Amino acid sequence: MISIRKLEKIFDSARGPVRAVDGIDLEVAEGEFMVLLGPSGCGKTTTLRCVAGLERPDGGSIEIDGELVDSADGGTYVPPERRDIGMVFQSYAVWPHLNVFQNVVLPLTEGQRRIPRSEVRDRAREALRLVRLDGLEERPVTDLSGGQQQRVALARAVVTRPKVLLMDEPLSNLDARLRDQMRDELRRIAESVNVTSLYVTHDQAEALSLGDRVCVMNEGEILQLATPKEVYSEPPNLFVARFVGEMNFLPAKVVDAGRVESGLGAIECAVPSGCAPGAAVTLGIRPEHIGMAPGESAAGLRGQVLRQTYLGDALHCQVQVGEVELTVTAVGDAEYVRGETVTVSLPEKGWHVFPEGQ
Amino acid sequence: MRLPSLNGQVSPLLPVALAPMALVAVFILVIVWVSFQSGTLGTVHSNYTLENYHDVLGDSAIYGVIWNTLWFAFSTVFFALIIGLPIAWLTERTTIPGKPAIYVIMTLGLLIPGIFVAMGWTFIAHPRIGFINRWLVDLFALDDGPVNIATPLGMGFVQGMNLAPLAFILTTQMFRAMNPMLEEAARTAGMSAAATLRRVTLPLAGPAILAAVIYIFIVGIATFDIPAVIGLGNRVYLFSTYLFTLTFPEDMEPRYGITGAVGVLMIVVALALTAWYGRVLQKGNRYQVITGKGYRPKMLDLGGWNWAAWAMIAVYALISKFVPIALVGFIAFAPYVAPPSLEMWEQLSLNNFYNVNWELVWRGMKHTLILMFVVPLAVMVCAFAISWLVVRTRSRGRYALEFGAFLPHTVPELLFAIGALLVALFVLKDYVPLYGTVWLIALVYLVTRLPFATRALNGALLQIHKELEEAAYVSGLTMLRASRRVLLPLLRPTLMSVWIWTALLVYREVTVAVFLATESNITLTAVVWSYWAAAGMTEASVVTTLMILFFSPLLLLFWIFGRRSALAEE
Repeated sequence: MISIRKLEKIFDSARGPVRAVDGIDLEVAEGEFMVLLGPSGCGKTTTLRCVAGLERPDGGSIEIDGELVDSADGGTYVPPERRDIGMVFQSYAVWPHLNVFQNVVLPLTEGQRRIPRSEVRDRAREALRLVRLDGLEERPVTDLSGGQQQRVALARAVVTRPKVLLMDEPLSNLDARLRDQMRDELRRIAESVNVTSLYVTHDQAEALSLGDRVCVMNEGEILQLATPKEVYSEPPNLFVARFVGEMNFLPAKVVDAGRVESGLGAIECAVPSGCAPGAAVTLGIRPEHIGMAPGESAAGLRGQVLRQTYLGDALHCQVQVGEVELTVTAVGDAEYVRGETVTVSLPEKGWHVFPEGQ
Repeated sequence: MRLPSLNGQVSPLLPVALAPMALVAVFILVIVWVSFQSGTLGTVHSNYTLENYHDVLGDSAIYGVIWNTLWFAFSTVFFALIIGLPIAWLTERTTIPGKPAIYVIMTLGLLIPGIFVAMGWTFIAHPRIGFINRWLVDLFALDDGPVNIATPLGMGFVQGMNLAPLAFILTTQMFRAMNPMLEEAARTAGMSAAATLRRVTLPLAGPAILAAVIYIFIVGIATFDIPAVIGLGNRVYLFSTYLFTLTFPEDMEPRYGITGAVGVLMIVVALALTAWYGRVLQKGNRYQVITGKGYRPKMLDLGGWNWAAWAMIAVYALISKFVPIALVGFIAFAPYVAPPSLEMWEQLSLNNFYNVNWELVWRGMKHTLILMFVVPLAVMVCAFAISWLVVRTRSRGRYALEFGAFLPHTVPELLFAIGALLVALFVLKDYVPLYGTVWLIALVYLVTRLPFATRALNGALLQIHKELEEAAYVSGLTMLRASRRVLLPLLRPTLMSVWIWTALLVYREVTVAVFLATESNITLTAVVWSYWAAAGMTEASVVTTLMILFFSPLLLLFWIFGRRSALAEE
């Protein structure tokens, strides 16, 4: 549905040109929910804005539903109003001088994709029902809460029944509880209108819960393009590992294909084929993959609890093991006291090994 | 460097934005060009020469003029700040009651033309006909009037009071932006009140006050109306009035080359001051970044001093505006210029109204009305184009646009008037018959009113999130429709206030009108001037009185629609 090839976008800045997007390729299938995930300045929003036609690429091409909308070489550029898209902005961007109904109706009456007058009312009501705002048609949008404004923006984006729905951090201005609620709503709405979605966020929880696939970006490049499960369980490099979820890192040296030497002693793990014995690597293990039990035992390494952070559904402990400080997620109703001696077990399957220089 | 553009295409707004810049450049360059010319300008009988500069600098008159101008400009700055600064502090930092009323008084002060006040002050303190002098001479049997307003200091006093509202507005923003928490932080860090004032408050306020000083100084050295009304008749010349006598000499052919040379001197001074002003402003803006948001400044409780503060403001309003204007109104009905007295009171009549050439007044009125309609419209179109490109595009060319739109803020309108006059006379005369038309005046007004409108629109556009426009594009609206349905409705309050403010300033403008007016394009203010210059003081007073009467409903309109945003920007 969306096909991005060798996309490049360069911005002039005071310190010379900046390659915001550096030759990325991305295919989004029909009906797919694709999330672009990355820190600020990674090029995700620029990519989205190129698809919307709000930025003109400096290189590469973009196709939407088989139609070439951007081609830097061919000089093709279709302006945003003639692309079959809907978009939801970070600032909601609901028009403050219009009421809820007028906001949703404007694309139908004034846009390039306008429909016969007689159908406008029904179509707008349908969109408002979809986002559960029916009954608020005559309200000035400025009287609505942030969550409601975002629903207006969403209704406005889908009212023209676009092939593609673009969302630029739509939940980042909402407070935490509302954000979780809207996240589920978004997924429901995107599925019910069967639209192809491209969604930009810097929040990994949003990315993992919403996306059919997640595209992790940094410095204008794609680092990983995979399902949420793969992104979480098989980060291909340190950056993705650091950015998605929590992970403990420690330096190590390769001994052979199944063993490394680290501050925790010799560790059994799968070493990638490219790493020769003696090579420096970084080991990673997620806090929830580390086992922890009170008291000393032969089942693992001896550790001492330094600090703990109680989060309600989990307990994060800082544990000193030898020279290394590890973060461990304790499950269940486990309770520890500071200074308590514990046994830490590090399963072989939990380890990630990242070659140096990545 | 790429041109300001959206998505790589050159914006259709660019030519609209560049047109007034081209006018600025042409008006300035033509003065430079003429300053190096002698002979019959614009024909083959002219040639390049340095003679004009030689003549100007060789004539001792110019040094007297420079001396007078400096005296005048410094006293203007002094009086403007000594009045404007305390009132600004009172309104922003104390609990003085009736703050809206203070804003009304100060805004009105900006709008009442200096020429009217200057006429009033001539009646009050002219060495010969001034009432104060007449009373003093009668009372103490003196030979001459002791008070003389027709000196650089006297005129600076009048202009200083006239520009006090400007000082007020320039410095209120500073007092508003200055975060009292910065001062409180100094106190909690153990600094004494005196040390806080010396090390924190003054360094922070410094750039804003210095900027106000420079700006008022620039306005001061180019002031025409007050020195013309008070000084010309007494042969006290400033830069502006000297230029006027050079350009419109009474007894010989004008030597425009000399006008050009004096104009160039003034351009150099203005540009140098502009550069300094820009640097100071930048420094001030850097300080503003540190101010926090959403604070509520602690107001000083004046207590029993409230009445004293208000007494000072009332005295200022009375002396600077009310008394001079009331005297002009009085003279409009008096048989001749004489101090108000019981005896005079009985002689008041409408006789002066029969002496006025009404055909001329109607003509002036017609031209003024045309200008009040056309100029704000043109200003808004150009300012919108400039602001949109400056705020919404990322090209570095936008800085050039911003600078170009800022330039007329500090380059005196007098120079643009002279530039326009020379362009019309010697450059366009065979192609476009602009000379003697109201359109020539309109072009200069467009240029001079642009900075305010651009800044007001910049501010408004910055408030309107870019995504509101983008949401319209992705909703399928073309740029034209998006502007009509989204941008313009959101900008409407600002556009309204800019419109009215511009129209009011066009109504009261006198310098450009006097330099460019002929029989066929005379404006109302130029009518007042032409009566005054021809010693028709009573007739000038009649027309002035009428102008003030017409003014009142306009002020009401301004008050209803535009005051907030205009005050915030000017």
